[in-house]
Amino acid sequence: MLQILSTKQLTTRFIHTGARILNKKEMAVRQASLGGVDVDLETKTNVEKLKRGIAEFYDESSGIWEDIWGDHMHHGFYDPNSTISLSDHRAAQVRMIEEALKFASVPEDPMKKPKSIVDVGCGIGGSSQYLARKYGTECTGITLSPVQAERARALAAAQGLENKVSFEVADALNQPFPDGKFDLVWSMESGEHMPEKAKFVNELARVAAPGARIIIVTWCHRNLSSSEQSLNPDENKLLDKICDAYYLPTWCSTDDYVKLLQSLSLQDIKAADWSEYVAPFWPAVIRSALTWKGITSLILSGWKTIKGAMVMPLMMKGYKKGLIKFAIITCRKPE
Amino acid sequence: MRLLTHNMLSSNIKGVTNGFPLRIEVEKVVEKSVDFNPDFLKNMLAKIEYKALVEASRIMGYAELPDHAEPSMLESDDFLRKFHHALMELHLEEGTLVCPQTGRKFPVNKGVPNMLLHEDEV
Repeated sequence: MLQILSTKQLTTRFIHTGARILNKKEMAVRQASLGGVDVDLETKTNVEKLKRGIAEFYDESSGIWEDIWGDHMHHGFYDPNSTISLSDHRAAQVRMIEEALKFASVPEDPMKKPKSIVDVGCGIGGSSQYLARKYGTECTGITLSPVQAERARALAAAQGLENKVSFEVADALNQPFPDGKFDLVWSMESGEHMPEKAKFVNELARVAAPGARIIIVTWCHRNLSSSEQSLNPDENKLLDKICDAYYLPTWCSTDDYVKLLQSLSLQDIKAADWSEYVAPFWPAVIRSALTWKGITSLILSGWKTIKGAMVMPLMMKGYKKGLIKFAIITCRKPE
Repeated sequence: MRLLTHNMLSSNIKGVTNGFPLRIEVEKVVEKSVDFNPDFLKNMLAKIEYKALVEASRIMGYAELPDHAEPSMLESDDFLRKFHHALMELHLEEGTLVCPQTGRKFPVNKGVPNMLLHEDEV
């Protein structure tokens, strides 16, 4: 499982590799973000602040996003090096869902397809609606944002899906469901918000029924090499700026997720780097923000949203440097 | 919040072993018409906690659902329609869900339950 190194061991390694020594506090933050240790009171308070920040950010920003981009609050999936027009993005966002389901080998056979689905970090319900329709079954979505939950409910009702999808304000780290409830556990671009990755993954596994598939599509940082204990200072600096604007806790790598899933004895674990398939996304979002509609909407939205918009070029920079990865990690809970 | 949703919610406050079902305190119930789907209902009977549904529907003001359900009752159109009404058509718009073990209240506003726990409850 997670190995907690002594300061002496860390120092020895760093002298040999020349990498920066993480001070005790930074090490605690990284360990805490992976969830390997009990969190102290200061970290607990920061987690509460983070959750409030996330809720407020989405309370404030969901409207403008929906206005310009629609009800899918995630990246589109694009053929590499293709030229995209604005109208293609919606189709790309739908394709992202389909590609993720395919990657995880979610069965479509009427006997084996999922009969109950949870959308963890559901936004305004884009995925929930799509999955409920696709499998003809019920889906429930959870979000920290009361504004999103209410909007999700209204949108579903407008689509005649009110009897198939439901939404609750709830915490992905403490899901209000009994064990083993869902055949498909879906987390589309919400993992990056989760402050304690181990707890997050644990909850996904807990609410998954035997045989269920778990799909995590999320932003990660690049995998560390075996000689590295952390990213280099420039990389951390870039991520810190992004974290601040998007209410993200410390990032982890795709490898970290795989290790967590392995530690829970989940099966058929698969992971991939889809960064090349999402490359057109941020430039498109930036372009949409720079339109007359984009600018006026941003001004009306509020400071949190504006800050989020200003940081978008940093996301592009992170991808270009190979620091930020768009990752998919899937697995199956044993029968 | 319809009772199908209520049937999957539980209180996961630290230390609670008996968090299901949540007790319902009603402020406003709305009845919404939903397309009747017998196949869906037949699948659902095995998956839900029937007793919790009966209790919840009574609190919501609907007393027609029989206390116990046998699989054979799925052949009865009359039962299916009552089951359908209780499970899918009764909505708690405003009210509270109460943890059966600790009494902690979770609000339901505009049909959306708020199940967020406080710092000291996790």
